[in-house]
Amino acid sequence: MVAWDLADFRLYLPVLGAVLILQGAGFALGMGLLFSKMPEAAAVFLVTGAPVMNLITAGLIFEPQVVAEQRIRGSYEFLQSLPVPRSAAALAWYTVALGTALPAVALTLVTGEARYHLNLTVTPMVVPAMLLTCLTGVLLGLAIAHGITVPMAAMLASTTLIFVMFGFSPVAFPAAQLPGWLAAVNQWLPFGSMATIVRAALANGVASGVPRAYLVVAAWAAGSALVVAWAQGHRR
Amino acid sequence: MDGDGLFRTDSVTKVYPNGIRANDGISLHVAPGEVYGLLGPNGAGKTTLVKQVIGLLKPTSGRITLGAHDLVADPAAARQLCSYLPQAQVPIDSFRAREAIVLCGRVRGGGRASVERRADELIEALDLGEWRNKRGLGLSGGVKRLVGFAMVTVCPGRLVILDEPTNDVDPLRRRLLWEQVRQVGDQGAVVLLVTHNVLEAEKAVDRLAVIDNGRVIAEGTPSAMKARDRGRLRLQLMIAPGRDAPALPPFALRSTLVGRNMMTVIAEGDAAVGIKWAEQVIAAGAAEEYALSATSLEDAYLELTGHNSGVDWGLRGIGG
Repeated sequence: MVAWDLADFRLYLPVLGAVLILQGAGFALGMGLLFSKMPEAAAVFLVTGAPVMNLITAGLIFEPQVVAEQRIRGSYEFLQSLPVPRSAAALAWYTVALGTALPAVALTLVTGEARYHLNLTVTPMVVPAMLLTCLTGVLLGLAIAHGITVPMAAMLASTTLIFVMFGFSPVAFPAAQLPGWLAAVNQWLPFGSMATIVRAALANGVASGVPRAYLVVAAWAAGSALVVAWAQGHRR
Repeated sequence: MDGDGLFRTDSVTKVYPNGIRANDGISLHVAPGEVYGLLGPNGAGKTTLVKQVIGLLKPTSGRITLGAHDLVADPAAARQLCSYLPQAQVPIDSFRAREAIVLCGRVRGGGRASVERRADELIEALDLGEWRNKRGLGLSGGVKRLVGFAMVTVCPGRLVILDEPTNDVDPLRRRLLWEQVRQVGDQGAVVLLVTHNVLEAEKAVDRLAVIDNGRVIAEGTPSAMKARDRGRLRLQLMIAPGRDAPALPPFALRSTLVGRNMMTVIAEGDAAVGIKWAEQVIAAGAAEEYALSATSLEDAYLELTGHNSGVDWGLRGIGG
């Protein structure tokens, strides 16, 4: 199924990769224009948050749009009729999404580090943190794609979540900058916790509550997986 | 092979949550090697039945089995055992034609060498060579349809479901496609052919069922279906543009108007008087031409359903 996905999306994956680079590196560099000299603490948050956006976006945006288009064109049922275990199809898409996001992640980190003269300390925990973050983004995307059967509603839902991630979640800025109630809500939402686990693996001393963040992200991954399993197994 | 390999639906009923009864007690049985037609007008319930067979919908009641496999209880087995060509185009925009066929065969569990060999055979048999390495995005609807057929049959399941396989396909390649449909059956698969195209179905299927309003209203071989019109002829009249259909002559047994095409069934013994009447209508300027021919499955279908077989044509039944 990985070969199928790579062939199916070969016209779009380079574009998605470029968009992710623009999103990550562009966001990290562009925000710097707001300051004559970016404070180091802000730069660390920005540069360690932008790759998280890459990892989330790859899974959250593309799949709902692809599935919505399949539903509109009538090819969704053909693909669902193929004798492929749903878990294998999800794993294949996860592999493709991860492969598309990682180059953007690397470029974003290198660019941001060079631009703001940072000295990030990457630990081995970056592997599980990024794998789990991308997995959760993919599962959220799959849950929306298969759980919301109205194509336009699915596309709107994924786009809305991207805006929530950008503007209302402590991904590229500290949670303390948010109003108290929104910070409290974000304790239970996935995006801030995703940023926490990735940031903890990239920079010393800037992330707190890491074990809890892992639990929150894992819970969202598990919950999304249940929704995907229900949506794909449920027959009207 | 487990069980008898028969495909059976037993009293399959599907009632949607909004109360629409899409299938109402449909019972069919099709043997391996048979090409079985499901005919019926739009909204008859054919697609709903197919979606229940491949595990995308669940019957409200009834059983669907293939050999010893209960396809309702085990939708994963249904996906493994059934190959499905939907009415919509297969999603191959990014694929090259041969690549799509091979990948589909691989996804269906075929070995690389055998799938590649079979893909090349199908490309040859369907005369698709000139598009072998072209991307789906640049293919015409008819060629895409043929590639879709090859994707579905390169490594066929034991039940092959083809929903309007000849849509958009040119007449020459339609023949090639029908030959391949027959071969799929000859290789032992049950072939379920869903179509509006009665004339093509007449030549392609071994048996067929006519479905209307969710029920099987007739079933049998094409010859048995036509038996009701034995000793009768079809008198076809092309009405002149802007003119009303002529009044039915007293010897007409039944008549249907499809667009400007007026099809009247008459007794063989009325052939001479029918020709005379048609020539009078043409002389009066109400019609442009006429044809007298043997009745076809389409005449039986029209009588059964009161519908036309064309998807987009207007219809006014005026008799029968």
